[in-house]
Amino acid sequence: MTKLVAFLIQLAVATALWLVLLNDVLPFTLIPLAVVPAIPSWCLVTFGAKSLASIGWSLITFGDCPEAHQEILKEIKQAHEELRRRGVTVD
Amino acid sequence: KKMSATTTNDKYSVLLPTYNERHNLPVIVWMLVRTFTEHKLDYEIIIIDDNSPDGTLDIAKQLQGVYGADRIVLRPRPGKLGLGTAYVHGIANASGNFIIIMDADMSHHPKFIPEFIRLQKAKNLDVVTGTRYDAGGGVHGWDLRRKLTSRVANYIASTLLSPDVSDLTGSFRLYKKPVLAKLMAAVISKGYVFQMEMMVRARQFNYTIGEVPITFVDRVYGESKMGADEIAQYLLGLFTLFART
Repeated sequence: MTKLVAFLIQLAVATALWLVLLNDVLPFTLIPLAVVPAIPSWCLVTFGAKSLASIGWSLITFGDCPEAHQEILKEIKQAHEELRRRGVTVD
Repeated sequence: KKMSATTTNDKYSVLLPTYNERHNLPVIVWMLVRTFTEHKLDYEIIIIDDNSPDGTLDIAKQLQGVYGADRIVLRPRPGKLGLGTAYVHGIANASGNFIIIMDADMSHHPKFIPEFIRLQKAKNLDVVTGTRYDAGGGVHGWDLRRKLTSRVANYIASTLLSPDVSDLTGSFRLYKKPVLAKLMAAVISKGYVFQMEMMVRARQFNYTIGEVPITFVDRVYGESKMGADEIAQYLLGLFTLFART
């Protein structure tokens, strides 16, 4: 099964459960009826908030490596010198 | 700590697809030779030039003269035929039992290769991939917008594909040769998504994957472009992967 199919099945099951709760057909109360209609939007908002937090955090902790740039520039010079000596066209 | 190949029969074939890299090629080859020699590793560098108009192949021939035809292997192609076929072509010509793929423009530094090899040996991994996003890794040369684009892209891909790999679009990797061959046969996408699909398929086939933090210096000379076109292509490719794997 593909990831898309797995996702759609999970979505279908969750929707069915939600509809059962919405129509108040269970003999006991799992979740207060007044809250049930808000569950889908709550899920979306929570997912959105978690996503923003995750992306924000990964952006803040993004590794910068200015030394790597300096190091490479030095190595390029070194390489050019040696290669020219050995007859390679370096331009 | 030096690694010795004298007690093993391991040989590492580096695949370098090139197109208009006459300035970068000598330097990357020099760095590769230095790394492999210092660590006493058996290697070959396979240069797959797609008929570059700037004379990259001539430079490659000069390098072959300096380092030897057993170390620098030339397998040019008649035109720009794409990365996927370059890998397939490279594997067919590789005499090593391990394949290293990397960019020829010096964004990937050969100094990380011994670390890839060390990790691979320690856990007998099928794949080792460099990650720019894990602690110790990093990127130089990206402005805030580019970093944001990259993070969002990686987040969407991770959420949809859940491959448990921190850098999905990375292309600095070490593979066991038969593993790479099998993955290439299974892969269907192109472009950035192609590298992602390799990891997704690897998970699918239950290959063991390790990650090594790497520093990535984007375009030592100048900055690479990331336009709306690339983004659209990426999202389309990503969704195709989501629907087909």
